Amino acid sequence: MIAENTQTQMRKGILEYCILSIISKGEIYASDIISELKRAQLLVVEGTLYPLLTRLKNNGLLSYNWQESTSGPPRKYYQITAEGLEVLRRLDSTWKELHYAVETSLQGRNESNNN
Amino acid sequence: MNKTIIININSIVFHIEEEAYEILRSYMIDIKKHFGNSADSQEILQDIENRIAEMFSEKIQIGRKEVISLEDVNLVIDRMGKVSDFEGGEEEEISASEEKQQESSEVPPSAFVEKKLMRNPDDSVIGGVCSGLGAYFGMETKWMRLIFVCFVLFGGSGVMLYVILWMVMPEATTRADKMAMKGESPTLQNFKKSFDEELQGLNPHISKAKSEIAKGTSVVGSGISKLGRMFLRLVGYFILVICALTLLGLAIACVGFITGVLGYQREMVFPGTEFLNTAQAIVALIAGTLAIGIPFFALLQTMLRILFSTPPMNHYFSLGLWATWISSIIAVVFFSFVGAQEFKESSTIKVEKPLVAQKVYYITEKDVRTIEASSSDKEGKKFKIELDGVDLESALRNHISINFESIDSLAKPYVQYNYFARGKTYQIATTNAADINYLANQLDDKIVFNSHFGINPDRKYRDQSVSVTLYLPQGSRVIIDKSIQHKLRNLSYWDCKESYKSEEKIKSTEWIMGRTGLQCTPKFSPITKNSEEEDLDSQAEAQVREIEERANEHAKRLEEHAKRLEEHAQRVENQAKQMAERVNKAK
Repeated sequence: MIAENTQTQMRKGILEYCILSIISKGEIYASDIISELKRAQLLVVEGTLYPLLTRLKNNGLLSYNWQESTSGPPRKYYQITAEGLEVLRRLDSTWKELHYAVETSLQGRNESNNN
Repeated sequence: MNKTIIININSIVFHIEEEAYEILRSYMIDIKKHFGNSADSQEILQDIENRIAEMFSEKIQIGRKEVISLEDVNLVIDRMGKVSDFEGGEEEEISASEEKQQESSEVPPSAFVEKKLMRNPDDSVIGGVCSGLGAYFGMETKWMRLIFVCFVLFGGSGVMLYVILWMVMPEATTRADKMAMKGESPTLQNFKKSFDEELQGLNPHISKAKSEIAKGTSVVGSGISKLGRMFLRLVGYFILVICALTLLGLAIACVGFITGVLGYQREMVFPGTEFLNTAQAIVALIAGTLAIGIPFFALLQTMLRILFSTPPMNHYFSLGLWATWISSIIAVVFFSFVGAQEFKESSTIKVEKPLVAQKVYYITEKDVRTIEASSSDKEGKKFKIELDGVDLESALRNHISINFESIDSLAKPYVQYNYFARGKTYQIATTNAADINYLANQLDDKIVFNSHFGINPDRKYRDQSVSVTLYLPQGSRVIIDKSIQHKLRNLSYWDCKESYKSEEKIKSTEWIMGRTGLQCTPKFSPITKNSEEEDLDSQAEAQVREIEERANEHAKRLEEHAKRLEEHAQRVENQAKQMAERVNKAK
């Protein structure tokens, strides 16, 4: 249970960061975000994505505009706002710190394991 | 061939298969429940619906595939993710509360969905009856099996019950059936659960353990009502079987009685039909059978409709049944009336025949149905059968009663026959009475009564009866054979038999004719009734008194005669004296 909980927490935080990063590259559609995430081997279902996007949008980090689709109904295309970029920059630095922290911790463990 | 439903997602129209629709609907309900509490639920749902609509429209290829199938829905759900997978992206507190909600919301649907009694092919030893029953009553299958094994051990009734249930319970073939069998609503989670169970062959009760506890209370409540329903169903089957058997019995009886009326057999003759002629009797029998049978048939049909939901009867057919039933009742009433008419008038013919006076009369019965024939009859021929006045062709009746009456000791004995019969008119009744052929035979001191009398086979039963009264002088002795005891009316044969010594096998009883009728005089027993003794004593006393009186009278007469003789002697003496005086004077 504890392992699962921690995993969920980790994934949750990283997911938001990844989504923001993906959207920051340019205007993008929800299912394309999914394919990007899949490419990154971060597996999620679309159902998880919508509440997340809505929340980020309501916090002013994202905006969207409707675009006509050749097949089916019009699509929502998301793009990052200035505020979103600001948050992303802050997350970038946090991630670097975290990455360093994790790397360092793992290094110590790997060394002890190797010995 | 599948039924399709037209749905509209974000104002785009889709044709969707019924089963697929059910799953999609429950999926959407689950999603709504999941996001119901969050602030942006409206928008999220809108997004999801939008996406589903898009994915559906990708599947549709005009001219080739225009209907959303179950497969498509499952694919969409896979991509969209199950509600349980959504937690990953949610806030901790929300998902925690959601989870709780979900768990509690899992129970009500299963409690509200009506369980279906079906055989479970996935968990079966023979036919899956036990596991189906177990699922229906919320019982573990092994306990149900144990109950059945007990039934089999106690008289083997379980085998019968199992076979009947096997025939009655449908097999749960589709997943929806299996879920209905377990009383689960066809929601996505349940579908998934059912699928997982099937895949892993898990005991359903292990994975369900959590919800089972919450379900327990509702199962107890609904279990009682289900038991009641089950019981009612059993009663229904019982009525069904009774109806079918009654109809069968009626049909057999009707055929039997008709052959009886036609004279092919005599064992089975419906009492009432003897009043009627053959054609009338057959019509009356058929009408009677229909009058009883049609309501049973209607009941049978109704039970079939309730239990197996067979289609209702054809309108014209049911109207026809009603008409037949009413007319058959009218026919039965009519024939009863006709039958009663034949009994309107009655007539009695009285015949007196003298008897040869005897000191002792032996009264016996001859059973006319036992034919005595000697083997010395002509060879190659059947025994020549002769009955005393009874024709073999005639119908036999045994409505005979025998009475004994006392007459003066010096009068001549005689026997009186009363022939009684009924008829439509007095004339017919008299003819019917005259038609009775019954006389007792006297052979010296033996009087033989036939056990039956014959009536003309053309004349039907009209309450014919014979009453015989034997008038015997006082003091006659009568020995009555046991065989005739059932015909005796004004004396108790049994009481008389009782007064004999009990060890003896009584073949006949002895009686003596008193002033008021026959009195029992057991020959072999010293036990006599006081009243009879007194009766006899008083009789003797009377005789003694009579003799005394006569003797006294005679003595008086003798005295008078003696007196007269004395007087005469005195007179002769006086004359002699006078003569002597005259002689002396003359001297």
